[in-house]
Amino acid sequence: MGKSHKITLSSSTKNLAKVRDFVGEQAAESGFDDSTINQIILSVDEACTNIIKHAHKYDENESIEVETSFANGEFKIILKYKGKAFDPNGINNPNMKEYFSSFKVGGLGVPIMKKFMSKIEFDTKNSDTNLLTLIKIIHG
Amino acid sequence: MEEFSINTRKHDDIVLLDLNGFLDAHTSVELEKTFEELLAQSSNKIVVNFQKLSYISSAGLGVFMAFIENARNNAGDIKLCGMSDKIYNIFDMLGFPILFEIYKEEDTALEKFA
Repeated sequence: MGKSHKITLSSSTKNLAKVRDFVGEQAAESGFDDSTINQIILSVDEACTNIIKHAHKYDENESIEVETSFANGEFKIILKYKGKAFDPNGINNPNMKEYFSSFKVGGLGVPIMKKFMSKIEFDTKNSDTNLLTLIKIIHG
Repeated sequence: MEEFSINTRKHDDIVLLDLNGFLDAHTSVELEKTFEELLAQSSNKIVVNFQKLSYISSAGLGVFMAFIENARNNAGDIKLCGMSDKIYNIFDMLGFPILFEIYKEEDTALEKFA
């Protein structure tokens, strides 16, 4: 595994900009182009927003550990957090025609992650610690 | 960089909102408040200019979804303009052009209210 980088932040939407900056820097160092970096940043933002909102219910005493690594053409972002488990792979993409005709709000974070990342893995460790891993494979 | 701000302008009975900075789950609350206030004052014709917006996440997209029906039910609309390719691609990827009128130029968005 390549060198990994880690930050731990309190679970607050205030910290989303810090997460984006951190992930953006690491993705750039791994050699992705700007457009792909933007896709990775957005996917991690969506994942963290879901954790803050659904797993931690905006409780700033909770925290999220963000760890990035790059090896064998794979850029991995591991989000480690406690609280309610949530596997994005278990969520079906909404029917967008129906979504717009009924003026729905929310629920677009997972489709964004699935669209932009190469792979998403979810694992619950020690029963209360969740590991959500977003993987982007570099091409060319 | 300032994280997020909204500049409001008036053009006849149309309200123009210039978005600056980044629109995420943290800053989208401010845009939500602005829409709430405008619709409460029956300012239902709104053009949002994205020219100075550098980032949007789904929390930002959700704000437009939350208010467009109300604006349209009151003889208004929320029209969008001035998006960079980076931001337009997010709207487009999710199919937002099905529901929203999105224009390159602000003048075109204003003309469409005529």
